[in-house]
Amino acid sequence: MPVEELARDERFNQITQADRMADGRNALIGDSEKSRRSNRLTPARPDASEAARALMHGIFVGEIQALEGAGRTCWDFTTGEEAPFELKLDMARQAWDEARHVEISLKLSDWMGSEIGQYAENTVLFQAACSNDPVLRLAGVNRALEGLAIDVFTTMKEFGEIAGDPYLEFCEDWMLADEVTHVKMGSDWLRKITENDPERRKKALEFQGIVDKMFSYGGSRSDSEESSFAIARRFRELAGFTEDENDHIADLGMQALNERKAQLREKQAAAAN
Amino acid sequence: MADPTKPRASFAPWDRRELPGSFSVEETARRVGNYKWAETKLFEVLGGWIATVPELDIKLRLGTHCYKHAWHAELWHKRLPELREMNPARLTVPANDALVRFIDAMTEPEDASLTIEKLVGVYRVYIPHFISAYTYHLNNTSEITDMPTIRSLKFILQDEFEDWRDGEMLIQSLLETPEHVDRAAAHQAKLEKLMLEAGGIAGHGSIGINTQAPQGALS
Repeated sequence: MPVEELARDERFNQITQADRMADGRNALIGDSEKSRRSNRLTPARPDASEAARALMHGIFVGEIQALEGAGRTCWDFTTGEEAPFELKLDMARQAWDEARHVEISLKLSDWMGSEIGQYAENTVLFQAACSNDPVLRLAGVNRALEGLAIDVFTTMKEFGEIAGDPYLEFCEDWMLADEVTHVKMGSDWLRKITENDPERRKKALEFQGIVDKMFSYGGSRSDSEESSFAIARRFRELAGFTEDENDHIADLGMQALNERKAQLREKQAAAAN
Repeated sequence: MADPTKPRASFAPWDRRELPGSFSVEETARRVGNYKWAETKLFEVLGGWIATVPELDIKLRLGTHCYKHAWHAELWHKRLPELREMNPARLTVPANDALVRFIDAMTEPEDASLTIEKLVGVYRVYIPHFISAYTYHLNNTSEITDMPTIRSLKFILQDEFEDWRDGEMLIQSLLETPEHVDRAAAHQAKLEKLMLEAGGIAGHGSIGINTQAPQGALS
């Protein structure tokens, strides 16, 4: 199903990842190398409220797309021939979980004072869920994207904890538990289905790498304080990621961060000239 | 203190369960295989439609219901080997070709403007037929020998009733003009005719009508 055909009501404004990266408002805050300021999403940031609202809206639309992606995997593949029956059961379970996450995000957005459509909807998540191979979908969605969700929810949970918002902290913790389950589903199925097909496993892991890099959002996730989100290593390990895999994702994030900074410097130099 | 050596009746006075039932092991396995096939088709289409429905509340309900029917399919999948069917795929089949035609027609609406048709197919035709077939099975199987099926049927029926009510309320909330009512009724009639031909989710005899006594039944 093409991403353009995702059904939405008139409140939603959809954009692509290219649109998002071209938006100058998404530049890193300040010149971190000079000011040594952290970009981590914490209540101490001057734009903390707005950034948290924008992130919550991003989580909300991301959960809708995750719901749609899991549902399509139930539908797109012939049971038994293209996808095992039990894999589809897991995807149906994930659809239910994502539906609850949308409900939670809606309630939290309301709590935080934002509305549906206040921010744009980046459709990149669903694009990663459109592969013709169910194993690639599991690698791209369950391992890469849901892995990112672990990082984001951990940050948001900490944000709630520091800000003294038990409502936010409570909800994020519950969603985090589900995400660890989803990543583990992806890890387990990837291992099981490609047990005797190393080529397919290699392809799936390569696809996961591409999605991981795409979702490093120009360096928004890494071990550096300059990134908005840290790598939630402990929860990732619970979900089946090895230490090497976590290191690799952290490296990808740093690489993306440096690339983004170089681009910014180029733009600044061009503007100065 | 009660005397531990005093004999008691094997069945308590309030336990009125009966041994006879209408279905043999083979007939039960056949029905359960049909149920699994029908529930699988249902959770698959509900999952597929999530992305095609623009109404946010309905999108979320479909996600929730998708899982419930997947769980029903899983319960039937696990019941089959207990009914001596060690290859569950062998009996995971549609009751007949007419039921396949029904599923094709029910899953046909894809466009974002066809939410009424999607919901009518599932909640006004398909799910009511689950409720009737399951109720017939529940009321006619042996309350002692087939207790595992009864336990699953009771759990599943509770879901079916809740989902039917959810779906019906969603449909009512979408019917804003007489034309909408006509659309819903026309689609329902079209699908109900196909289901009539199929005889129900377990074929003719799904609710006992037009069925011969299955072989091996103890009545």
